Amino acid sequence: MGAMVSVRDLRKSYGASEALRGISFEIMEGEIFGLLGPNGAGKTTTVEILEGLRRADAGTVVVAGVDVARDPKGVKERIGVQLQVSAFPQHMTAREVVELFATCYDRRVDPAALLAMVDLADRAAQLNEKLSGGQRQRLSIATALVNAPTVLFLDEPTTGLDPQARRNLWDLVRRIRGGGTTVLLTTHYMDEAEVLCDRVAIMDAGRILELDTPRALIGHLLARGFAKPVIQQQANLEDVFLDLTGHELREDR
Amino acid sequence: MTTTWRLMTLFLRAYVRDRTALFFTFFLPFLFMVIFGTLNFGGVARATVGLVDLAKNAESARFTETLRTIDTFRIRELDREDALRELERSELDIAIILPADLRIAPARTGAAVPTIEVYENTSSQSAPIGAAILRDVVDRLSFAVSGTSPVVSIARKEVAGVRLRYVDFLVPGILGMNVMQLNVFSVAFGLVALKQTGALRRILATPIDPRAIVASSGLMRLLVSTIQVAIPLVVAFLMFQVRLVGNVFALFAVAIVGALPFLMLGFALAGWGSTEDQVQPVAQLITLPQFFVSGVFFSRELAPDLIKPITNYLPLTFLIDGLREVAVQGASLWDVRMQIVGLLAWTVVGFLLAVRLLRLRTT
Repeated sequence: MGAMVSVRDLRKSYGASEALRGISFEIMEGEIFGLLGPNGAGKTTTVEILEGLRRADAGTVVVAGVDVARDPKGVKERIGVQLQVSAFPQHMTAREVVELFATCYDRRVDPAALLAMVDLADRAAQLNEKLSGGQRQRLSIATALVNAPTVLFLDEPTTGLDPQARRNLWDLVRRIRGGGTTVLLTTHYMDEAEVLCDRVAIMDAGRILELDTPRALIGHLLARGFAKPVIQQQANLEDVFLDLTGHELREDR
Repeated sequence: MTTTWRLMTLFLRAYVRDRTALFFTFFLPFLFMVIFGTLNFGGVARATVGLVDLAKNAESARFTETLRTIDTFRIRELDREDALRELERSELDIAIILPADLRIAPARTGAAVPTIEVYENTSSQSAPIGAAILRDVVDRLSFAVSGTSPVVSIARKEVAGVRLRYVDFLVPGILGMNVMQLNVFSVAFGLVALKQTGALRRILATPIDPRAIVASSGLMRLLVSTIQVAIPLVVAFLMFQVRLVGNVFALFAVAIVGALPFLMLGFALAGWGSTEDQVQPVAQLITLPQFFVSGVFFSRELAPDLIKPITNYLPLTFLIDGLREVAVQGASLWDVRMQIVGLLAWTVVGFLLAVRLLRLRTT
């Protein structure tokens, strides 16, 4: 397995503020890679440079074998993108939104099959602005899959979703990876990174502080002598919530 | 091209679902027509006079000056041929022809007095008023010069001008206004909404050429413009029995060329503004003054002299004049070539502005 994404010494400033102070990492083929960090850490800037939406001040980015700075269009053809804000033109049905994006890639797709893949088969004729938050995120992922991308970028895909919708989305991401797609996602939910990501990079203030598998990162911390006050608790409040309300999606509101 | 076409059909389907947009596009112009057509604001007592001076002497000049002092008259000096042609097109209410032998002096006994010919447009309500005022002027002149006997005689003739009712005049104005409003507002708002929600950014994360997005939404508006001209026109035929003198295709051609400059201004506005709140007042600033001075509801002849020269060059003026000349006076596309050139010139200006302001690439 080779590197599907490789980032070398990436820098970006907005005026006087340095958003990225030289970051480097690689994402292997078929991996789910997590970019973690508090708000303002530089996650979205990084992802948008990788997607060809922003230009870096310095550094190189190669995605799926294509240099982003040299051929942003070539990169865009090979990747799927979910931005932090999932917005589509108004008055278009879910099906039409998928058609719109297929057109943008100059492809013909079967919108019904894509919508079925993200559990929206029964919402095909619904206007996208009438969809619930979780449904809109899944529609957004469907639009990111119209070009059968080799790398999928998900920017905070579960922000604002209820626990059921989050779990449902995690399953979807795993299924997509199962199909051979490499996934880069950003999140500020640690539980999400822990259960979903093969490796994570923890960012703050424009730098990568550490990069490894979640288990190894926890191991490093413990090796440094960290100890949490141990409370014998076999479940947390989320477990209670899910036990009471079930795992099924609630989206018929 | 196929990409642009497919995008256009998708945008069009979305547009057709937008009830508010449909209301403003199709119902509002209809409402305007009903209101203004029914109220008939056209009866403004003012006569446009074509003055043909064949004498070109001091006395004809003095006579012309006298006529110019009369408020009701709007004097335009023309040659005989133009005056009669414009009369037939109802651009004039009356034409006054001062004979070559015009003298304003007591008549020598036995000699015939010079005869001023007055052609009245039979379909103009202002023509009889104009003729009556002219007679009054001549009577006073005669009285002043000779005390009693007339120094000039008046020969009245009638010309059947195109029967121009107010609604005939109004329809092209409404069409033009409509084309302006739709293209400036809906293009600007549509694109700014895409920018504001982030939908445009998402689309630009695909390999599509941003020009295809601009082209498809432009094409979509042109198509809507065509329908938008067609619907009020059909209503005008059916409800007000408006008579279209000119060629329907020429009318649509002018409407579509006329949509272009406003389309470009809409794109420029969308490029400049980042929220609808920013775009709204500027769009109003561009359209509202033209609304009032470009002759939508009233003839531009009534505009104050100070701003009249400016109104000649506004895009809406070109559009409405073009539409009106085709619809009402049966002008051909060649006859309205000046208006078309004017519209194309504005299109170029708008295009340059749009290219400068509309940056769809994000860095």
